[in-house]
Amino acid sequence: MKYLDEYRDAALVRGLGERIRATATRPWVLMEVCGGQTHTIVKQGLDELLDDCVEMIHGPGCPVCVTPLEQIDKALRLAQDPRVIFTSFGDMLRVPGSDCDLQQVRARGGQVRVVYSPLDALALATRNPDKQVVFFAVGFETTAPANAMAVWRAKELGVKNFSVLVSHVTVPPAMMAILDSPDNRVQGFLAAGHVCTVMGWTEYEPIAARYRVPIIVTGFEPVDIMEGILLAVTQLEQGRAEVENQYVRSVRREGTVPARSLVEQVFELVNRKWRGIGEIPGSGLALRPEFADFDAEFRFGLQDIMVDEPAECHAGDVLRGQLKPFQCPAFGSSCTPERPLGAPMVSSEGACAAYYNYGRLRREVGATTRAEWGSAESDSLTTDDSPLTTDDSPLTTDDSRLTTDDSLVTVPVPEVPR
Amino acid sequence: MCLGIPGRIVDRRDDRGLPMGVVDFGGVRRECCLAYVADEANVGDYVIVHVGFAISRVDEAEARRTYEVLREMSQLDELDWMREVADQGMSMLGSPADPAAAARETGG
Repeated sequence: MKYLDEYRDAALVRGLGERIRATATRPWVLMEVCGGQTHTIVKQGLDELLDDCVEMIHGPGCPVCVTPLEQIDKALRLAQDPRVIFTSFGDMLRVPGSDCDLQQVRARGGQVRVVYSPLDALALATRNPDKQVVFFAVGFETTAPANAMAVWRAKELGVKNFSVLVSHVTVPPAMMAILDSPDNRVQGFLAAGHVCTVMGWTEYEPIAARYRVPIIVTGFEPVDIMEGILLAVTQLEQGRAEVENQYVRSVRREGTVPARSLVEQVFELVNRKWRGIGEIPGSGLALRPEFADFDAEFRFGLQDIMVDEPAECHAGDVLRGQLKPFQCPAFGSSCTPERPLGAPMVSSEGACAAYYNYGRLRREVGATTRAEWGSAESDSLTTDDSPLTTDDSPLTTDDSRLTTDDSLVTVPVPEVPR
Repeated sequence: MCLGIPGRIVDRRDDRGLPMGVVDFGGVRRECCLAYVADEANVGDYVIVHVGFAISRVDEAEARRTYEVLREMSQLDELDWMREVADQGMSMLGSPADPAAAARETGG
């Protein structure tokens, strides 16, 4: 399988590293806004491989991490309501709310179910007509079409006991908020491959032009990311600022039109609070008025819950790239994946958890990583000891594995004090 | 969160107007919504699936390559999710849970 060898080829990554280094005449600062890319960059040490010519800032690319505390608290309120079966993607279960997390509510007997797809939550509602089934609709534009379909379908089928707690965010306004901030250092972006698979890249063209930043639509594998960085650095060196597509195998300029279309029919743009960052205008999706019947905030009267973010967690500084995770005083001491203070330490896509899991407990010298990757001239590393193919961290806490769900048999739920 | 997994459509059907199908992910099979690729993807085609929805069509060589690379990198978080949920007998849209069938489907 020739195509496989190509992407497993550590020599290809090293070769791209050499090309980036040869292209850069000065250090450049790039930001990725995708938790999957952050995970790959930190796990494979791609940033350290390039740390003499490119600084990677890990932007707010993890929807779990940016979900504001008050939305978590609303979820916790619903999960403790004996009328409710609360359904969620597995990533959200350990995100700390003000008092506890969804996993703890479940351990105390609350009906919290992990689902793979929002349509699973809808199916659960049709099977449990005596219960209210609420789905925690979080995510970026990649996930919005799935959640839009669940709501659309519930309306079409007349499912009255299904609703969604919406905490959707969209990427381009966050990029603009970062570029507008007075202490911004970002000179170019890697845009998230699957967000753009759905949305295409037309929204990014005015951003590239207005702020004079290259934006490279990029995939998730090491070779993808190295190629995306090379394209960005090449543009910067040439004084260009355009949208370019590295992830050709999945992304078209116009995106996936039927998916965009349903998202637009079900959701509208609203201002949305991002955890640690604050409110970003037009950065969220909320249900349109014609779907308000399916909005859990209205159905259960949760609109008034407002919560301030705790001061001890520096997630906002990390998400804006002002602080590397290891520079946070709590990192690795009072905040670990087992006892997280904030969401970036919970999700495997969060910058803090990635740094912790892959041993970035302090500033390390890039030369070490470069030595591990070897030189561009050496043989290709396709064996098990290749950095591309080993999962070397025993500390990996992969929250999506926390999906040992309770059975679907309905059990009596003890009343939990509110 | 935005991880997408390529798989091959092995069955396609209409569920009360909604295009659905069974997608094979290297042996693990899962029912997925095909509404967003209904005009371009049929049985035998590869699609990228995110939270149970096909979001784009990819060619076979590309799909297999991506899958293999992801597997090598132990990044199949979504697939683990899918497998565990399927193991508990969760099935799609109204059909009664059948753990035995789910176990057969997932090979586990």
